[in-house]
Amino acid sequence: MLKQSPWIVLLAIVWMSVAMSPRALARQPSEDAEMQRLLGLFDDLLRGASSQGTMTMTVKTKRFERTLSMQTWSKGTDKSLVRILEPVKEKGTATLKVGDKIWNYLPKVDRTIKVPGSMMGASWMGSHFTNDDLVAKIRYSEDFACSFDPATREPSVKELRIDCIPNEDVAVVWGKVSMLLDKASELPTQSMFYDDDDELVRTMKYENVRTMGGKRIPTVLTAIPAGEDGEFTRVEHSKLEFDIDISDRLFSLQSLKQ
Amino acid sequence: MNKVFVIAWRNLWRTPRRSVVTIGAMTVAVLAMLLYASLVEGYVRDLEADLVEVEVGDLQVHAEGYRDRPSLYTTIDDSDAMIASLEGAGFVATARLLAGGLVAAGESSSGALIKGLDLETNDAVSAIAERVDRGEWLAASDPHGAVLGRGLARALAVDVGDELIVLGQATDGSMANELFQVRGILEAVTAETDLAGVLIADSIFRETFALDQGVHQVLMRRPANLGLDAASALAQSTIQGHEVKTWRELQPLMSQMIDISRSMIILMFVVMYVAIAILILNAMLMSVFERIRELGVMKAVGLSPRTVLSLVLTEAMLQAVVATVIALAVGAPLLWLLVERGIDVSGFGDITAGGMSIGTRMFGAVAPHTILGPIVTFFVLVFLGVLYPGLKAARLRPVEAMRHQ
Repeated sequence: MLKQSPWIVLLAIVWMSVAMSPRALARQPSEDAEMQRLLGLFDDLLRGASSQGTMTMTVKTKRFERTLSMQTWSKGTDKSLVRILEPVKEKGTATLKVGDKIWNYLPKVDRTIKVPGSMMGASWMGSHFTNDDLVAKIRYSEDFACSFDPATREPSVKELRIDCIPNEDVAVVWGKVSMLLDKASELPTQSMFYDDDDELVRTMKYENVRTMGGKRIPTVLTAIPAGEDGEFTRVEHSKLEFDIDISDRLFSLQSLKQ
Repeated sequence: MNKVFVIAWRNLWRTPRRSVVTIGAMTVAVLAMLLYASLVEGYVRDLEADLVEVEVGDLQVHAEGYRDRPSLYTTIDDSDAMIASLEGAGFVATARLLAGGLVAAGESSSGALIKGLDLETNDAVSAIAERVDRGEWLAASDPHGAVLGRGLARALAVDVGDELIVLGQATDGSMANELFQVRGILEAVTAETDLAGVLIADSIFRETFALDQGVHQVLMRRPANLGLDAASALAQSTIQGHEVKTWRELQPLMSQMIDISRSMIILMFVVMYVAIAILILNAMLMSVFERIRELGVMKAVGLSPRTVLSLVLTEAMLQAVVATVIALAVGAPLLWLLVERGIDVSGFGDITAGGMSIGTRMFGAVAPHTILGPIVTFFVLVFLGVLYPGLKAARLRPVEAMRHQ
């Protein structure tokens, strides 16, 4: 075999590695379509044309633990409104997102403050989510190049792993996002967010699948920052309705106050 | 020697025009350096005073790790006992609370460093209360009053009486938010406070940021009889387990600035005086060349080379002494004006140097080294400048010199 021209060996190696690479596999039409379908499901999982719901957010850090209950509304990917119901001290505090802008209404001082660019990386309501996380509207089906982990394609494996690299023109803080999907339900169980150096930054767990708003969805989402022992932010949806009629006027500075 | 002196004096007035010009140039140089040294000293002292007396204090204590990673949670918990023992050792001290946050007014907002001050003890340590440009200093009776840095007030377009919202993250994770009224606006201080400082009373700080106990910083002035390093050592031994830093360590840039400004004086001396030294060299060379025959005769009648050298040196030194006396006489009232009245530098716009905002007036200051420094340097340079013509005169051969045309 070694008597063959080295060029042919080299070409063979190159061809094999290209052909066998996950991306090349994904490029085959049927797999490509399946990937797009799964990513689309994931993208629209907790989103509809509009939504309305109530949820509880528990934040645990080394320093404090707090639980907030809040009401949420969203329309499309651009508009959302969150209003705190409890605790009493923060009742009425509200966040309005329109496009990439965020305003906070603070009932104590009765003022609305637009979150400046310098504060977009700061924590939202003390949680592990930043204001930037709130305005991020990435769609994996469009903004990322994703590939299946071939090993998880085996029928014996229950969870499918998808690795996604952001396209170059997409402004995200992640270098890579991986997700695990339960093959039977096609629902996510976990996603992992990595920085540009491929270090795990955050893990997101999707648990407690229930039917809510006519869809089977994981109703408990937990964000776990890497390297912060015991810290997490957990969001539990207690009510969620999709595709209901919500007026655009709800997403205005006037209604933010009430 | 006495004769040399008499001859030197007489020689000077044989060419009055040249002597007057030389003395005049020397006088201007000495005068300029006296004024310049005083101005730099005044500037440096102002910087130091602004920094130490107004904002930084001589020494500061922080909880271990605070300075590397400032956090609302990294506090000194036994501050009352600490301040008591520091005061027992002769220091005056006050506690400060610090938080990063956002201030908003109307449509504009800006990042801010929010400082909670202990109003009872603050004035004994810091003169910042005297640096209010517009409005008034904080008062316990007005808990929602805030004093702002001038640059920050400008960025937010607020003036005294306007409302201000302070935002941040409280210790319990909630969004700290409180409404304040601009009570005062500071004059030029350190750039940090100028551009981001929001000063409020410690009680309202604790309420806003849900900080029940602990402080972030203890600021102190040293006992008058102790140097900075000795005071630092004393403070460190008085309070164990916390980080004590001198203002020079806390503000290395400013500290360096001050040292550099002082050494810049010397550089200026040299530059100014090199010009003078060349002038003296030229004048003395001229007078030596004009008198070669005369000097030849002097040597022929038995004057030693040493005497000739000391004659030329004495001529130069006499001029230098006259110039110095005139410079001091003229300089005294000018220095007084510089120290008392200062000079208006508002025409230069807003000057910031090494993180300090300079006010609209610069004042001079007089210290032994601002008077002796220029004069001693001047005499050394005159001596060096006249050495070459002096040696040339001393080495003349009588016979050749007398034939010189």
